[in-house]
Amino acid sequence: MFQVITRSTPVIRLLAPRGAVLVEAVRGRKTRTDPKAKSKEGRIKTPPPVDPVEMVVLRERFTEYDLIMRALRLEFKEEMLRKRYEEEVGSLAEERAKQEAEEHRSLMTWNQEENLRMLKIRELRVQKEVEAAEVKKTEAAILREQAMESFVKEKGEEIMRIQEEAKSFINLENLDQRIEEALDNPKNYNFAIDKDGRVVKRTVLQ
Amino acid sequence: MPMKGRFPIRRTLEYLQKGEVVLKNRVKIVTVNYNTHGQLSDGARKFVFFNVPQIQYKNPWVQIMMFKNMTPSPFLKFYLDDGEQVLVDVEGKDHKQITQHVKTILGKTDEVLQAEALARMEAANPANFGPKKYCLKECICEVEGQVPCPGTTPLPKEMTGKYRAQMAAAQD
Repeated sequence: MFQVITRSTPVIRLLAPRGAVLVEAVRGRKTRTDPKAKSKEGRIKTPPPVDPVEMVVLRERFTEYDLIMRALRLEFKEEMLRKRYEEEVGSLAEERAKQEAEEHRSLMTWNQEENLRMLKIRELRVQKEVEAAEVKKTEAAILREQAMESFVKEKGEEIMRIQEEAKSFINLENLDQRIEEALDNPKNYNFAIDKDGRVVKRTVLQ
Repeated sequence: MPMKGRFPIRRTLEYLQKGEVVLKNRVKIVTVNYNTHGQLSDGARKFVFFNVPQIQYKNPWVQIMMFKNMTPSPFLKFYLDDGEQVLVDVEGKDHKQITQHVKTILGKTDEVLQAEALARMEAANPANFGPKKYCLKECICEVEGQVPCPGTTPLPKEMTGKYRAQMAAAQD
Protein backbone atom coordinates (compact mmCIF):
# COMPACT_ATOMS: atom_id res chain seq x y z
CA MET A 1 0.00 0.00 0.00
CA PHE A 2 2.93 2.31 0.52
CA GLN A 3 4.40 1.87 -2.92
CA VAL A 4 4.22 5.54 -3.86
CA ILE A 5 6.60 5.97 -6.78
CA THR A 6 7.72 9.55 -7.41
CA ARG A 7 9.41 10.29 -10.69
CA SER A 8 12.20 12.61 -9.61
CA THR A 9 15.54 13.07 -11.38
CA PRO A 10 18.05 10.54 -10.10
CA VAL A 11 20.48 11.92 -7.53
CA ILE A 12 23.51 10.74 -9.55
CA ARG A 13 22.86 13.33 -12.22
CA LEU A 14 23.28 16.13 -9.66
CA LEU A 15 26.45 14.74 -8.18
CA ALA A 16 28.80 13.77 -10.93
CA PRO A 17 29.08 16.09 -13.90
CA ARG A 18 31.63 14.21 -15.97
CA GLY A 19 32.00 16.96 -18.54
CA ALA A 20 31.67 20.67 -17.88
CA VAL A 21 29.15 20.96 -20.66
CA LEU A 22 25.72 19.54 -20.04
CA VAL A 23 23.76 20.06 -23.19
CA GLU A 24 20.15 19.82 -22.17
CA ALA A 25 18.13 21.72 -24.77
CA VAL A 26 14.45 22.31 -23.91
CA ARG A 27 12.15 23.06 -26.91
CA GLY A 28 10.23 26.00 -25.38
CA ARG A 29 8.77 28.70 -27.69
CA LYS A 30 10.70 28.08 -30.93
CA THR A 31 10.37 25.15 -33.35
CA ARG A 32 13.21 22.96 -34.62
CA THR A 33 13.81 25.09 -37.69
CA ASP A 34 13.99 28.52 -35.99
CA PRO A 35 17.51 30.03 -35.92
CA LYS A 36 19.26 30.89 -32.68
CA ALA A 37 18.85 34.47 -31.42
CA LYS A 38 21.61 36.87 -32.56
CA SER A 39 22.63 37.65 -29.01
CA LYS A 40 22.93 33.98 -28.16
CA GLU A 41 24.78 32.76 -31.24
CA GLY A 42 28.19 32.19 -29.65
CA ARG A 43 26.97 31.28 -26.21
CA ILE A 44 28.21 28.12 -24.56
CA LYS A 45 26.20 27.21 -21.56
CA THR A 46 28.33 26.01 -18.68
CA PRO A 47 26.96 24.59 -15.48
CA PRO A 48 27.99 26.09 -12.16
CA PRO A 49 31.43 24.88 -11.01
CA VAL A 50 31.59 22.00 -8.58
CA ASP A 51 33.63 22.06 -5.40
CA PRO A 52 35.41 18.65 -5.24
CA VAL A 53 35.65 18.52 -1.45
CA GLU A 54 31.99 19.37 -1.07
CA MET A 55 31.23 16.86 -3.79
CA VAL A 56 32.97 14.03 -2.00
CA VAL A 57 31.27 14.81 1.29
CA LEU A 58 27.89 15.10 -0.36
CA ARG A 59 28.36 11.86 -2.24
CA GLU A 60 29.23 10.02 0.95
CA ARG A 61 26.23 11.42 2.74
CA PHE A 62 23.90 10.66 -0.12
CA THR A 63 25.07 7.07 -0.41
CA GLU A 64 24.46 6.63 3.31
CA TYR A 65 21.05 8.24 3.04
CA ASP A 66 20.15 6.11 0.05
CA LEU A 67 21.24 2.98 1.84
CA ILE A 68 19.13 3.74 4.87
CA MET A 69 16.03 4.64 2.84
CA ARG A 70 16.33 1.55 0.67
CA ALA A 71 16.79 -0.62 3.75
CA LEU A 72 13.70 0.88 5.41
CA ARG A 73 11.58 0.42 2.31
CA LEU A 74 12.62 -3.17 1.94
CA GLU A 75 11.99 -3.79 5.64
CA PHE A 76 8.45 -2.52 5.39
CA LYS A 77 7.82 -4.47 2.21
CA GLU A 78 9.16 -7.63 3.80
CA GLU A 79 6.99 -7.11 6.87
CA MET A 80 3.90 -6.74 4.73
CA LEU A 81 4.74 -9.80 2.66
CA ARG A 82 5.41 -11.84 5.77
CA LYS A 83 2.08 -10.77 7.24
CA ARG A 84 0.27 -11.75 4.08
CA TYR A 85 2.12 -15.05 3.94
CA GLU A 86 1.24 -15.76 7.56
CA GLU A 87 -2.39 -14.98 6.83
CA GLU A 88 -2.56 -17.37 3.93
CA VAL A 89 -0.07 -20.15 4.64
CA GLY A 90 0.82 -19.78 8.33
CA SER A 91 0.24 -22.27 11.12
CA LEU A 92 -2.78 -20.33 12.36
CA ALA A 93 -4.18 -20.32 8.85
CA GLU A 94 -3.88 -24.08 8.64
CA GLU A 95 -5.70 -24.52 11.93
CA ARG A 96 -8.37 -22.15 10.78
CA ALA A 97 -8.73 -24.01 7.51
CA LYS A 98 -9.00 -27.31 9.38
CA GLN A 99 -11.61 -25.91 11.71
CA GLU A 100 -13.57 -24.52 8.80
CA ALA A 101 -13.46 -27.84 7.02
CA GLU A 102 -14.72 -29.57 10.16
CA GLU A 103 -17.53 -27.11 10.59
CA HIS A 104 -18.44 -27.46 6.96
CA ARG A 105 -18.55 -31.23 7.26
CA SER A 106 -20.76 -31.09 10.33
CA LEU A 107 -23.10 -28.64 8.64
CA MET A 108 -23.28 -30.88 5.59
CA THR A 109 -24.20 -33.88 7.74
CA TRP A 110 -26.87 -31.83 9.46
CA ASN A 111 -28.21 -30.79 6.07
CA GLN A 112 -28.20 -34.43 4.97
CA GLU A 113 -30.20 -35.39 8.04
CA GLU A 114 -32.71 -32.66 7.27
CA ASN A 115 -33.02 -34.00 3.75
CA LEU A 116 -33.62 -37.51 5.04
CA ARG A 117 -36.28 -36.24 7.41
CA MET A 118 -38.01 -34.40 4.57
CA LEU A 119 -37.72 -37.58 2.50
CA LYS A 120 -39.49 -39.61 5.18
CA ILE A 121 -42.25 -37.06 5.51
CA ARG A 122 -42.63 -36.97 1.77
CA GLU A 123 -42.81 -40.75 1.53
CA LEU A 124 -45.51 -40.87 4.17
CA ARG A 125 -47.44 -38.19 2.37
CA VAL A 126 -47.13 -39.92 -0.98
CA GLN A 127 -48.23 -43.19 0.60
CA LYS A 128 -51.25 -41.51 2.15
CA GLU A 129 -52.13 -39.95 -1.16
CA VAL A 130 -51.91 -43.28 -2.93
CA GLU A 131 -54.11 -44.93 -0.32
CA ALA A 132 -56.64 -42.13 -0.51
CA ALA A 133 -56.71 -42.49 -4.28
CA GLU A 134 -57.28 -46.24 -3.95
CA VAL A 135 -60.09 -45.74 -1.47
CA LYS A 136 -61.68 -43.19 -3.76
CA LYS A 137 -61.43 -45.56 -6.69
CA THR A 138 -63.07 -48.41 -4.81
CA GLU A 139 -65.80 -46.12 -3.54
CA ALA A 140 -66.46 -44.90 -7.04
CA ALA A 141 -66.64 -48.46 -8.28
CA ILE A 142 -69.11 -49.35 -5.53
CA LEU A 143 -71.25 -46.33 -6.31
CA ARG A 144 -71.24 -47.18 -9.97
CA GLU A 145 -72.32 -50.72 -9.18
CA GLN A 146 -75.05 -49.51 -6.90
CA ALA A 147 -76.31 -47.13 -9.54
CA MET A 148 -76.30 -49.94 -12.07
CA GLU A 149 -78.20 -52.19 -9.69
CA SER A 150 -80.85 -49.62 -8.92
CA PHE A 151 -81.24 -48.90 -12.60
CA VAL A 152 -81.67 -52.56 -13.38
CA LYS A 153 -84.20 -52.94 -10.53
CA GLU A 154 -86.22 -49.99 -11.71
CA LYS A 155 -86.37 -51.28 -15.22
CA GLY A 156 -87.41 -54.67 -13.91
CA GLU A 157 -90.23 -53.16 -11.87
CA GLU A 158 -91.44 -51.24 -14.85
CA ILE A 159 -91.51 -54.41 -16.88
CA MET A 160 -93.57 -56.13 -14.17
CA ARG A 161 -95.96 -53.23 -14.08
CA ILE A 162 -96.44 -53.29 -17.77
CA GLN A 163 -96.90 -57.04 -17.69
CA GLU A 164 -99.61 -56.59 -15.09
CA GLU A 165 -101.27 -53.98 -17.18
CA ALA A 166 -101.00 -56.17 -20.25
CA LYS A 167 -103.37 -58.60 -18.57
CA SER A 168 -106.16 -56.07 -18.78
CA PHE A 169 -105.50 -55.08 -22.38
CA ILE A 170 -108.07 -55.58 -25.02
CA ASN A 171 -107.17 -58.56 -27.30
CA LEU A 172 -108.93 -60.10 -30.18
CA GLU A 173 -110.50 -62.69 -27.82
CA ASN A 174 -112.15 -60.34 -25.39
CA LEU A 175 -112.87 -57.68 -27.95
CA ASP A 176 -116.54 -58.53 -28.23
CA GLN A 177 -116.86 -58.94 -24.48
CA ARG A 178 -115.31 -55.60 -23.74
CA ILE A 179 -117.46 -53.86 -26.33
CA GLU A 180 -120.54 -55.33 -24.66
CA GLU A 181 -119.25 -54.22 -21.26
CA ALA A 182 -118.53 -50.70 -22.46
CA LEU A 183 -121.96 -50.37 -24.04
CA ASP A 184 -123.62 -51.68 -20.88
CA ASN A 185 -121.81 -49.28 -18.52
CA PRO A 186 -121.87 -45.78 -19.85
CA LYS A 187 -119.42 -43.54 -17.99
CA ASN A 188 -120.28 -39.96 -17.26
CA TYR A 189 -117.28 -37.60 -17.43
CA ASN A 190 -119.32 -34.44 -16.81
CA PHE A 191 -118.75 -33.45 -13.24
CA ALA A 192 -117.68 -30.37 -11.35
CA ILE A 193 -115.21 -30.25 -8.47
CA ASP A 194 -114.63 -27.66 -5.82
CA LYS A 195 -111.31 -26.40 -4.58
CA ASP A 196 -110.75 -29.39 -2.31
CA GLY A 197 -111.11 -31.90 -5.15
CA ARG A 198 -114.45 -33.32 -4.07
CA VAL A 199 -117.02 -33.91 -6.72
CA VAL A 200 -119.79 -31.34 -6.35
CA LYS A 201 -122.15 -31.78 -9.21
CA ARG A 202 -122.84 -34.40 -11.77
CA THR A 203 -124.92 -33.93 -14.84
CA VAL A 204 -127.46 -36.57 -15.61
CA LEU A 205 -126.47 -38.83 -18.53
CA GLN A 206 -128.89 -38.82 -21.46
CA MET B 1 -44.42 5.91 -12.16
CA PRO B 2 -42.11 5.25 -9.19
CA MET B 3 -43.77 1.99 -8.00
CA LYS B 4 -43.44 -0.98 -10.35
CA GLY B 5 -44.61 -4.53 -9.80
CA ARG B 6 -46.67 -6.26 -7.15
CA PHE B 7 -44.47 -5.66 -4.08
CA PRO B 8 -42.35 -2.64 -5.01
CA ILE B 9 -40.75 -2.70 -1.56
CA ARG B 10 -38.54 -5.50 -2.91
CA ARG B 11 -36.85 -2.92 -5.08
CA THR B 12 -35.89 -0.54 -2.27
CA LEU B 13 -32.29 -0.33 -1.09
CA GLU B 14 -33.41 -0.55 2.54
CA TYR B 15 -35.13 -3.88 1.96
CA LEU B 16 -32.19 -5.29 0.03
CA GLN B 17 -29.64 -4.22 2.61
CA LYS B 18 -31.69 -5.95 5.31
CA GLY B 19 -30.88 -9.32 3.72
CA GLU B 20 -29.33 -11.65 6.29
CA VAL B 21 -27.69 -14.28 4.12
CA VAL B 22 -24.10 -13.57 3.08
CA LEU B 23 -22.90 -16.77 1.44
CA LYS B 24 -19.43 -18.17 2.07
CA ASN B 25 -16.74 -17.42 -0.50
CA ARG B 26 -16.75 -21.01 -1.65
CA VAL B 27 -20.30 -20.87 -3.03
CA LYS B 28 -20.26 -19.98 -6.70
CA ILE B 29 -23.63 -21.03 -8.16
CA VAL B 30 -27.08 -21.37 -6.59
CA THR B 31 -29.89 -23.17 -8.41
CA VAL B 32 -33.53 -23.11 -7.36
CA ASN B 33 -35.93 -25.67 -8.84
CA TYR B 34 -39.56 -25.01 -8.04
CA ASN B 35 -43.09 -25.32 -9.47
CA THR B 36 -45.45 -22.54 -10.35
CA HIS B 37 -48.54 -24.37 -9.01
CA GLY B 38 -49.10 -26.57 -6.03
CA GLN B 39 -49.24 -25.92 -2.32
CA LEU B 40 -45.96 -27.71 -1.54
CA SER B 41 -43.94 -25.32 -3.73
CA ASP B 42 -45.48 -22.29 -2.06
CA GLY B 43 -42.56 -21.70 0.31
CA ALA B 44 -40.06 -22.00 -2.52
CA ARG B 45 -42.06 -19.59 -4.65
CA LYS B 46 -42.16 -17.02 -1.84
CA PHE B 47 -38.44 -17.55 -1.26
CA VAL B 48 -37.73 -16.80 -4.92
CA PHE B 49 -40.04 -13.81 -4.88
CA PHE B 50 -38.93 -12.17 -1.61
CA ASN B 51 -35.54 -13.47 -0.53
CA VAL B 52 -33.52 -14.19 -3.67
CA PRO B 53 -33.14 -10.45 -4.50
CA GLN B 54 -31.73 -9.90 -1.03
CA ILE B 55 -29.26 -12.75 -1.44
CA GLN B 56 -28.18 -11.54 -4.87
CA TYR B 57 -27.67 -8.03 -3.52
CA LYS B 58 -25.42 -9.28 -0.75
CA ASN B 59 -23.56 -11.69 -3.05
CA PRO B 60 -23.20 -9.96 -6.39
CA TRP B 61 -20.60 -12.46 -7.67
CA VAL B 62 -22.74 -15.56 -7.11
CA GLN B 63 -24.76 -16.84 -10.07
CA ILE B 64 -28.36 -17.64 -9.07
CA MET B 65 -30.55 -19.52 -11.53
CA MET B 66 -34.22 -20.41 -11.32
CA PHE B 67 -35.81 -23.45 -13.00
CA LYS B 68 -39.59 -23.79 -13.15
CA ASN B 69 -41.73 -26.93 -13.44
CA MET B 70 -38.87 -29.32 -14.11
CA THR B 71 -39.17 -31.61 -11.09
CA PRO B 72 -42.15 -32.72 -8.99
CA SER B 73 -40.68 -31.42 -5.74
CA PRO B 74 -38.82 -28.15 -5.11
CA PHE B 75 -35.18 -27.99 -4.00
CA LEU B 76 -32.12 -25.76 -3.84
CA LYS B 77 -28.68 -26.74 -5.04
CA PHE B 78 -25.41 -25.00 -4.19
CA TYR B 79 -22.30 -25.56 -6.27
CA LEU B 80 -19.06 -24.90 -4.36
CA ASP B 81 -15.74 -24.09 -5.98
CA ASP B 82 -14.20 -27.49 -5.17
CA GLY B 83 -16.92 -29.26 -7.15
CA GLU B 84 -19.04 -30.18 -4.14
CA GLN B 85 -22.80 -29.90 -4.60
CA VAL B 86 -25.09 -29.27 -1.64
CA LEU B 87 -28.72 -30.28 -2.04
CA VAL B 88 -31.42 -28.71 0.14
CA ASP B 89 -34.95 -30.12 0.01
CA VAL B 90 -37.54 -27.38 0.56
CA GLU B 91 -40.81 -29.17 -0.06
CA GLY B 92 -43.48 -27.88 2.24
CA LYS B 93 -41.16 -25.46 4.05
CA ASP B 94 -41.89 -21.81 4.70
CA HIS B 95 -39.72 -19.15 3.00
CA LYS B 96 -38.43 -17.94 6.34
CA GLN B 97 -37.41 -21.46 7.29
CA ILE B 98 -35.61 -21.85 3.98
CA THR B 99 -33.67 -18.61 4.53
CA GLN B 100 -32.71 -19.68 8.03
CA HIS B 101 -31.60 -23.09 6.79
CA VAL B 102 -29.44 -21.58 4.06
CA LYS B 103 -27.93 -19.13 6.51
CA THR B 104 -27.04 -21.96 8.89
CA ILE B 105 -25.34 -24.23 6.40
CA LEU B 106 -23.67 -21.88 3.94
CA GLY B 107 -23.90 -18.38 5.33
CA LYS B 108 -21.11 -16.39 6.95
CA THR B 109 -21.55 -16.19 10.69
CA ASP B 110 -22.01 -12.89 12.49
CA GLU B 111 -18.50 -13.08 13.96
CA VAL B 112 -16.93 -13.56 10.56
CA LEU B 113 -18.91 -10.64 9.16
CA GLN B 114 -17.89 -8.42 12.04
CA ALA B 115 -14.23 -9.39 11.66
CA GLU B 116 -14.41 -8.58 7.95
CA ALA B 117 -16.00 -5.20 8.65
CA LEU B 118 -13.27 -4.46 11.21
CA ALA B 119 -10.54 -5.39 8.74
CA ARG B 120 -12.10 -3.17 6.12
CA MET B 121 -12.26 -0.27 8.60
CA GLU B 122 -8.61 -0.79 9.53
CA ALA B 123 -7.54 -0.84 5.90
CA ALA B 124 -9.39 2.40 5.17
CA ASN B 125 -7.57 4.42 7.85
CA PRO B 126 -8.33 8.12 7.27
CA ALA B 127 -4.96 9.01 8.79
CA ASN B 128 -3.18 7.54 5.76
CA PHE B 129 -2.40 9.94 2.95
CA GLY B 130 -1.55 8.65 -0.50
CA PRO B 131 -2.88 7.90 -3.98
CA LYS B 132 -6.63 8.07 -4.38
CA LYS B 133 -6.68 4.37 -5.18
CA TYR B 134 -5.52 3.35 -1.69
CA CYS B 135 -6.24 6.29 0.63
CA LEU B 136 -9.01 8.81 1.13
CA LYS B 137 -6.92 11.97 0.79
CA GLU B 138 -3.62 12.69 -0.91
CA CYS B 139 -2.48 15.65 1.18
CA ILE B 140 -3.47 17.34 4.44
CA CYS B 141 -4.28 20.45 2.45
CA GLU B 142 -7.37 18.65 1.08
CA VAL B 143 -8.90 18.33 4.56
CA GLU B 144 -11.39 21.01 5.57
CA GLY B 145 -10.09 23.36 8.22
CA GLN B 146 -6.43 22.84 7.38
CA VAL B 147 -3.97 25.19 5.69
CA PRO B 148 -4.90 25.34 1.98
CA CYS B 149 -2.52 24.09 -0.69
CA PRO B 150 0.25 26.60 -1.38
CA GLY B 151 -0.09 25.59 -5.03
CA THR B 152 -3.48 27.32 -5.20
CA THR B 153 -3.13 30.16 -2.66
CA PRO B 154 0.26 31.52 -1.52
CA LEU B 155 1.05 30.93 2.15
CA PRO B 156 1.23 33.93 4.49
CA LYS B 157 4.81 35.23 4.64
CA GLU B 158 5.36 34.16 8.26
CA MET B 159 4.81 30.50 7.30
CA THR B 160 7.33 30.33 4.45
CA GLY B 161 10.70 28.75 5.11
CA LYS B 162 12.47 31.60 3.30
CA TYR B 163 11.10 34.26 5.69
CA ARG B 164 11.78 32.15 8.76
CA ALA B 165 15.36 31.56 7.65
CA GLN B 166 15.80 35.29 7.12
CA MET B 167 14.41 36.03 10.59
CA ALA B 168 16.65 33.42 12.18
CA ALA B 169 19.67 34.81 10.33
CA ALA B 170 18.74 38.40 11.31
CA GLN B 171 18.46 37.43 14.98
CA ASP B 172 21.87 35.81 14.95
